[in-house]
Amino acid sequence: MAEIATQRRPSPYWLLAAPAVVMLLVLYAAPIINVLLLSFTDPKPGFGNYAKIIESDTVGRLIWTTIRLCLITTVCAVTLGYIVAYAMLHALHHVRRRMMAILLISFWISVLVRSFAWLMLLGHNGLVNNALIAMGLIAEPIAFVRNELGVLIGMTEYMVPYAILPLLANMQGIDTRVLCASRSLGASGVQTFLRVFLPLTKPGIIAASLLVFISSLGFYVTPAILGGGKVQMIAEYISVQLLVTVRWGTAAMLATLMLVCVLTLMYVLNRFMKLSTIFGGGAR
Amino acid sequence: MQDKTFMRDMASQAATAFKAGRLDRRSFLMFCGMAGVASLAVQAGDAEAAANEIVMWNWGGQSEQCHGDAIGKPFTAATGIPLKFDTSGPLQGKIKEMVDSGKVTADVCDADGFDAIALGRSGHLEPIDYNIVNKKQIKEGVAWEHGVGVIFYGYAFMYDTQAFGANPPANWADFFDTKKFPGKRSLYKWANGSIEGALLADGVAKDKVYPCDVPRALEKIKSIKADSLYWGSGSEAHDMIVNGEVAMGMIWQNRGKAIEEDSKGRYKLVMNEAIAMPGAYIVPKNNPAGRDNVMKFIQQALQVESQLMLLDCLGMTPSNPEAFAKIAEAMQPYAINSAMNIDKVVFNDPVWWAEKGGDAVNAFLDAIG
Repeated sequence: MAEIATQRRPSPYWLLAAPAVVMLLVLYAAPIINVLLLSFTDPKPGFGNYAKIIESDTVGRLIWTTIRLCLITTVCAVTLGYIVAYAMLHALHHVRRRMMAILLISFWISVLVRSFAWLMLLGHNGLVNNALIAMGLIAEPIAFVRNELGVLIGMTEYMVPYAILPLLANMQGIDTRVLCASRSLGASGVQTFLRVFLPLTKPGIIAASLLVFISSLGFYVTPAILGGGKVQMIAEYISVQLLVTVRWGTAAMLATLMLVCVLTLMYVLNRFMKLSTIFGGGAR
Repeated sequence: MQDKTFMRDMASQAATAFKAGRLDRRSFLMFCGMAGVASLAVQAGDAEAAANEIVMWNWGGQSEQCHGDAIGKPFTAATGIPLKFDTSGPLQGKIKEMVDSGKVTADVCDADGFDAIALGRSGHLEPIDYNIVNKKQIKEGVAWEHGVGVIFYGYAFMYDTQAFGANPPANWADFFDTKKFPGKRSLYKWANGSIEGALLADGVAKDKVYPCDVPRALEKIKSIKADSLYWGSGSEAHDMIVNGEVAMGMIWQNRGKAIEEDSKGRYKLVMNEAIAMPGAYIVPKNNPAGRDNVMKFIQQALQVESQLMLLDCLGMTPSNPEAFAKIAEAMQPYAINSAMNIDKVVFNDPVWWAEKGGDAVNAFLDAIG
């Protein structure tokens, strides 16, 4: 009995993590439980807020818009990310290092700055439109922003680096001798890519897609600035319900819904690829 | 043990009295000393800090300097209490959260009239003490139980004179007429002013705007949906107009003045049928500086000098009727309550917005989304 007890005692190293775990529990778990409770109690106890998912056209429309925009963003960002990751994989060592530095720097540029930068570039009076008009290619400015296109451009641009990292981690793990073998057996470059390389990167594509999709769900600033008020996603709606209309029950319900979606997708993601490998952590 | 409890109680009573202005600083510190400052240092420190300043919760930008000069300076000169700012924007949900959490850090919020009604009803605000605040110095109809309409601002619109210089638009009917006046429009994202403007455009008389027929307003707004953009901040509204994204744009009238001046008159403000919003000073329940001090602050904000300075500095129109006649010639066209505009504008009904605003905003978002 005593022996079993010693075996079950957790490793002392867990104690080192304890302060962080306790802090996370207090700072994250407690407010989240509060939000969950609020979604069942405000304005009156029951499932009234959740009934809105089915009953209210608005909530249905918001969810659909959010999912649709996130899916398009995912496809665009992963496609672009795949190309960049592929280029990085085959780049010379020092070039790859520079590319990686640029990639990491891009993480530090705030989403607010990027959104305003897009307005300056693609706006009605922006650099691109002015240049196109000056060159005589168009007569009237093209509406790149303040619409769904603008939101998609902003979201995709933000998400590309998130797609590159898991893809690159995955690609770097592929044994290049397999590709040589394919070529030596007579396959062309395209055939080798399509039938050998691409299938081998499937876990990377799935991980990148899930990661981009999950992160896209919470976009708030980008649609608010680049959407011209007509492109409404869940995050901004939650903020309006919290701050302007003061319908905390509705806000809490939508927040809970998003959290459940994210956790479910995280679970799926974890099955395809250990989470740590997404950012290049070793599990190769 | 009992002594300690007694001392603690005495110190906290003294702190409360000090906060409320019934006890001067020296006596307060003496009480703290008697009670043993060491054991009560934190409590006493808190009370002292709180009673030694008024924290105004406003929207940042220029308003910090303007509120400081117009209200803060004379208030501090008279009472010795400095004015500090929290510039994060007192939206209704944030005020409610602050009061519910029990950690009230602001004494007075620069909010909207409908916030004063809604939060007053839900018990989140201190009642106004009209023994200190002089009702006669407030425009009729905006001296509420839980807030004072200290200033007025408005939802007006601007047009591009290069597009419509010869035959300028004059009212909301023209604003919503994209056949006669082609081009895009911009409106406020969270329904205020947009709903009233749409109703006026649809032929509702000025005195019949409230209670708002929201479905009727939304029909009108949907009629220009393809040609419309929506803004959430003053700077966004500003950009949409000066970047040529819209041919006509709804704008806060004080911003409109700035745009007119910056563009040397290219973009022109139309004050006819502007929706006049009372800007309310409201006091969160259990504010740290105590009720008396903050009431004195509100009373200072209503003085003619302060009112005219706010107009000059921020473009916020006076609420004190004594100030109406003293509005400078150059400010007349932009001031809600100037002789020139007072009969042209439509005064917002904060009670309607407090009761129906939430539904109206959500229906509006639905219509434009």
